[in-house]
Amino acid sequence: MTVVMQETRFSKAVRARARRMRQSPGRVVIWLVLAVVSVALMYPFYFMAMTSFRSEQQYELGRGFSFASWSALFSSVPVGREIANSLGICAVSITFILVIATCAGFALAKTQFRGRRLSLLAIIGSMMIPVQSMIIAEYVNFSKIHLINSYAAAIAVYIALGTPFATFLMSTYFRGIPEELIDAGRCDGLTYTGCFWRVAVPLAKPAFATVVVLQFIPIWNDLLIGLLFLQEPNIRTFTVGLGVLASSRVVNVPSLMAGSLLSTVPAAVVYVVFQRYLVRGLTLGTAR
Amino acid sequence: MTVAPARAAEPSAGRMPLARVTSRRPGIDRDRSRAGHILILPAICVVTVLLLIPIGQAIYYSMTNWNGISSQWVGPSTYLTEFKNPLFWRVLENNALLLVAVPVTMLCGVTLAALLHEHVWGWRVFRAAIIIPTAVSWVVLGLIGIQAFAQNGLINRLLGGIGLGLLERNWLGSPIDALAAVGITFVYSLVGVNTLIFVTGMATIDPAVYEAGKLDGASWLQSYLHVTLPMLRRYFVFTFVITTISAFSALFSLIYTMTGGGPNYGTTTIEFFIYQQAFGTGAFGVGALLGVVLFLILVSLSVVQVYLMRRSE
Repeated sequence: MTVVMQETRFSKAVRARARRMRQSPGRVVIWLVLAVVSVALMYPFYFMAMTSFRSEQQYELGRGFSFASWSALFSSVPVGREIANSLGICAVSITFILVIATCAGFALAKTQFRGRRLSLLAIIGSMMIPVQSMIIAEYVNFSKIHLINSYAAAIAVYIALGTPFATFLMSTYFRGIPEELIDAGRCDGLTYTGCFWRVAVPLAKPAFATVVVLQFIPIWNDLLIGLLFLQEPNIRTFTVGLGVLASSRVVNVPSLMAGSLLSTVPAAVVYVVFQRYLVRGLTLGTAR
Repeated sequence: MTVAPARAAEPSAGRMPLARVTSRRPGIDRDRSRAGHILILPAICVVTVLLLIPIGQAIYYSMTNWNGISSQWVGPSTYLTEFKNPLFWRVLENNALLLVAVPVTMLCGVTLAALLHEHVWGWRVFRAAIIIPTAVSWVVLGLIGIQAFAQNGLINRLLGGIGLGLLERNWLGSPIDALAAVGITFVYSLVGVNTLIFVTGMATIDPAVYEAGKLDGASWLQSYLHVTLPMLRRYFVFTFVITTISAFSALFSLIYTMTGGGPNYGTTTIEFFIYQQAFGTGAFGVGALLGVVLFLILVSLSVVQVYLMRRSE
C-alpha cells in the first residue's frame, strides 16, 4: 500500500529524470545487460520445450521434431489424474488456510482477549519450524491413525505449514484497517463477529490474493510431503509423479522435459499474473 | 464507537484509555473478547496439533533410540554421540559451503534491481523474465540440472565456447563440483525473489535524494553506492534471512532429483540427511535429533534477523 502511494508521489520526478537520461549511451548498455540476463534465465524453458518435442534418438542427435515423447509421457504416467490431484489438493488446502488465517488474523489485529499474546507467540514461533524438523513425528502420528496414503493427511500438513505465515500476513493487513470502520459497524448494531464478516472480510480481498499466490507455489511444487503421505500412484500429485518418474529405472529425458514443462506452466502463469500481490506479500516481511 | 475521539481529546489519559472506556461498557468488552477467542481457535488448534506437538515429540524422541515404532530413553548423550560422528560434520560442512551462494544471490539481485530501476524500454518484460524462474519447482530444476551439468551438457559447452575449456568437467561426478552445481542452481532459482525485493525497496527511495547527489557531482555508481545501498539496509537483512533459510531448508527436492545426496555424501545437506536417516535407514531417533539441530539453526537466524532489523531502525 505505502509503496504504491509513494510511487505515485515520486512518479513525476521519476519520469522527468527518465526523459533526461533517455538518450544516454549508458541506458543502451543497461538494456543489453538486462536482455542477456533475461535470455539466460529463460533458457531452461526453451530447453524444456525443444527437448520435449523430440524423440529420444532425435534428442541424442540434437535435431528433429516429434510428438513421441509427449505421448510416451501420457502413456507412462496418469497425467490427467495427477494434475487433478494437484489442483484438488491445492484448492482444498488453500481454502482452509484462507479461512483459518483470516479469522486468526482478525482476532490478533482487532480484538482483545485473554491469551492473545500467547497465541501470537505460538503463531510466530511456528513460522520458524522447518518441515524437516517436524515431518518425522508427523509421519509417525499419521501412520498410527492409519492416514498415510490419504489426501486428508497431506492436506492437513499443507494447511499446518501454510497457516502461520498466512495468519501473520492477514493480521498485518487488518491492522491497516482503521479502527473507526469497526466502530461504525458496531454503531450499526453489529457484533464483533458481525463486523468481521460484513466489514473486515470484504475489505481484505487484495490480501486474499496475496495469500493464494504465496501458498499455491509451494504446495503445487512440493515433493517431500507428497513422497511421504501420497505414496499410492492414483493419489499422487503431478510433482510427486515427476519425481518418482525421474528416479525410475528407465529414464526418457524428452518425456521428463515434457512433464517438467507441464508442471512449470501453471506456477509461472500464477507468478506473472499475480506479480503485484507477490510483491506485497514479500514486502510485508520488511514492514514490521 | 467513541473510543478513538475520546483518546484524541484526552491525551493525558492516553496510557490506558481502552481499559477505562471499555470498563464502562462491559457488554462490548465481553463481545470483543468472545469474538477473539472464537476466531483464533481454529488456527491455534491446527498449529498446536500439527506443528508444536510434533516439534515437541521430535525433541523428546531425539534423546531416544526411536525406530518409528518403539523407543527407549537414552538421554541427552545421543547428541554427544552424534557430534562425534564425522558424517554429521561432513554434512554441516556442505551446508556451510552452500552458504557461499547466499551473498552471490544477493549481489546478483541488488545489481539486477538497480538496472531494472532505471526503467529502460521494456523493463516490465525483463522483470517478468527474471521472476519466472522462481516459480519453477526444485524437482524440475533438478531434472534440467542433470542435463545442463552433464559431461556434454550446456554448462560445459558454454565454458568451451567462451574459451574456458579448462573448467570443463563432469560436474555431478565429484563431490565438490556437484555441490557447486547445486549452488549454481540455487542462485538461479532465488535471484528472482531477491531482485523483486530490492526493486520494491528502491521504489521507496525519494528520487530527490539522487538529484541532490547529482548536484554535488556524484556519478551514477557513486550515488548508487553511497545513497541507494545504505537506504536499503532492512531489505538486505530480509533477503539475507529468507535466502539463508532457503539454503538450509528448501533444497530437499533439488538434491533428491539432481544428485541424490551424492556422490559420496558430497551434496548431502542437513535437511536431506534427516530424510535419509529416518526414511532411508530407519534411524528415526537420529532423524529427529538432526531435525532439532536444524530447528535451532533457523531459530538463531530469526533472532539475528530481529536484532539486525532493530538496529536498522
